[in-house]
Amino acid sequence: MIAVDGITKYYGPKLAIDGISFEVKQGEILGFLGPNGAGKSTTMKIITAFMPPTTGRVTVMGYDTVDDSLEVRKRTGYLPENNPLYTDMKVESFLRFVASAKNVKRKSIKASVDNVIMECGLEEVRGRIISRLSRGYRQRVGLAQALINDPPVLILDEPTIGLDPRQIYEIRQLIKDLSGSRSIILSSHILPEVSQLCDRVAIINRGKIVAIDTPSNLTAQLSDHRIIELLVGERMDDALDLVKGIEGVVSASRLNSHIVIETSRDMDIRPVIARKIVEAGIPLMELHAKEMSLEDIFMELVTEEEV
Amino acid sequence: MRSVYAKEMLIYFSSPIFYAVSFIFLCVLGIFFYNDMAYMSMLASRIAQYQLSTGLGLDKIVLRPLFSDMSILLLFIVPIIAMRLYSEEKGNGTIELIFTYPITDLQVLLGKYLAGLSVIAILLGITTVLMLLAGIVVSPDWGLVFSSYLGLFLVSASFLAIGVFASSLTKNQIIAAASSLGIILAFWAVGWFSDVFTASAVAKFLGELGIMEHLDDFMKGMLNVKDAVFYLLFSLFFLFMTLRILESHTWRG
Repeated sequence: MIAVDGITKYYGPKLAIDGISFEVKQGEILGFLGPNGAGKSTTMKIITAFMPPTTGRVTVMGYDTVDDSLEVRKRTGYLPENNPLYTDMKVESFLRFVASAKNVKRKSIKASVDNVIMECGLEEVRGRIISRLSRGYRQRVGLAQALINDPPVLILDEPTIGLDPRQIYEIRQLIKDLSGSRSIILSSHILPEVSQLCDRVAIINRGKIVAIDTPSNLTAQLSDHRIIELLVGERMDDALDLVKGIEGVVSASRLNSHIVIETSRDMDIRPVIARKIVEAGIPLMELHAKEMSLEDIFMELVTEEEV
Repeated sequence: MRSVYAKEMLIYFSSPIFYAVSFIFLCVLGIFFYNDMAYMSMLASRIAQYQLSTGLGLDKIVLRPLFSDMSILLLFIVPIIAMRLYSEEKGNGTIELIFTYPITDLQVLLGKYLAGLSVIAILLGITTVLMLLAGIVVSPDWGLVFSSYLGLFLVSASFLAIGVFASSLTKNQIIAAASSLGIILAFWAVGWFSDVFTASAVAKFLGELGIMEHLDDFMKGMLNVKDAVFYLLFSLFFLFMTLRILESHTWRG
């Protein structure tokens, strides 16, 4: 449905995207994960034909975003970053405008407006002026404008940002309901959200895709390091030196009252650590392995890049 | 195009700017009208007193100054009407919506331009009340009234094209209004060259470019194809430039 092929984007001399390629299949939800300024929004703006890539090409359902921009735009619903809306308009008249701008036939405009109003839960506010709505409702209006012509492709740039937990839950639920046969790309920097909602996750940093896979594969494959936490009763510095000398330890550092030890995944050296500590006469209080969460992987990938 | 037009009209009539601008425009015009009428009635009583016969009448004392005042007022007001057309969308980000909807830049531009023209037409329409009021006293030369209105509408269309162009350049509405006013004033000033340097061919050419120069004949009740074509081409030029600016968002950066 969406094929992104080696796109780069320069803003003047500044490289914003550096050779991104990926595909999204029908019915799939792809999540973009990355720090601010990583290139998530820029990639989305290119897919929605808002602007062209400097090099590379993007096709949506076979249509090129530069050469067949109108065809792409007909098939894509877009919720831009910060959810810009015509705040002076009433919800219903705004949606009617969007419907006619998106070539919905005159006769069916009323029906499709009623439909998205119902789908997005906007019945109570359909006559209200958008600037007077709460953030949660505004976000729904943003989703509604993206959905109004029932597009097969949805691009949602940070759909839950700035919402309270209940609103976040509702919007996520809405996005889940929307997926069905649609292809959806959404960006976020909330990890649980991405791992919950998305079939695949692309971690983007500094304009590059650092990793792209299902959330569970990412956790499995990319955590080639095992984290062990050690707590000793006293002589923490001695313990730290001791641990650093053990074979298989990649790094060891102090984190608050604990010593955090990173080891390679292929062997479990916990017994070795325990024996050495006890032999040295240091009181061993606690020793346990820590599973790497998606968040740890994310942090690792993103900080690794910066080193 | 129709969808954008409808949207712009809806926003015009729900924003306070339109009402503020109309209020000021109509108030100021009302004051001028009252002054001119009072002056005319004073003159009329003198004329009657001394039994003078002059060529002075409603058209010369009230209508012509009034129309020329209107053209000056429009020069200031049209940039304010035009300033939001693109700048507002750039400022609040809705430009991303409209540029990702399946409508072409030209359709968006025409929708916006026609909405601006409609607002101007409505403003001019309201001022016809003054003509009717004057008509109660003395019947005006309706041909002159018609040609003056046509001229004012055409010159406003040119102002609006400049305003839309300036609005497409910036996301700041104040800067848009100020720079379109600047461009309009420059095209007004250019017309004075021909008055000062009558001999020079360059000055004559520049004089022809003067945006107010082409209004004179309309105000005298003459319909010149040349002047009408000037305003049409002038507007088209700036609309074309706007389209170029809008297209640049696809290659800039």
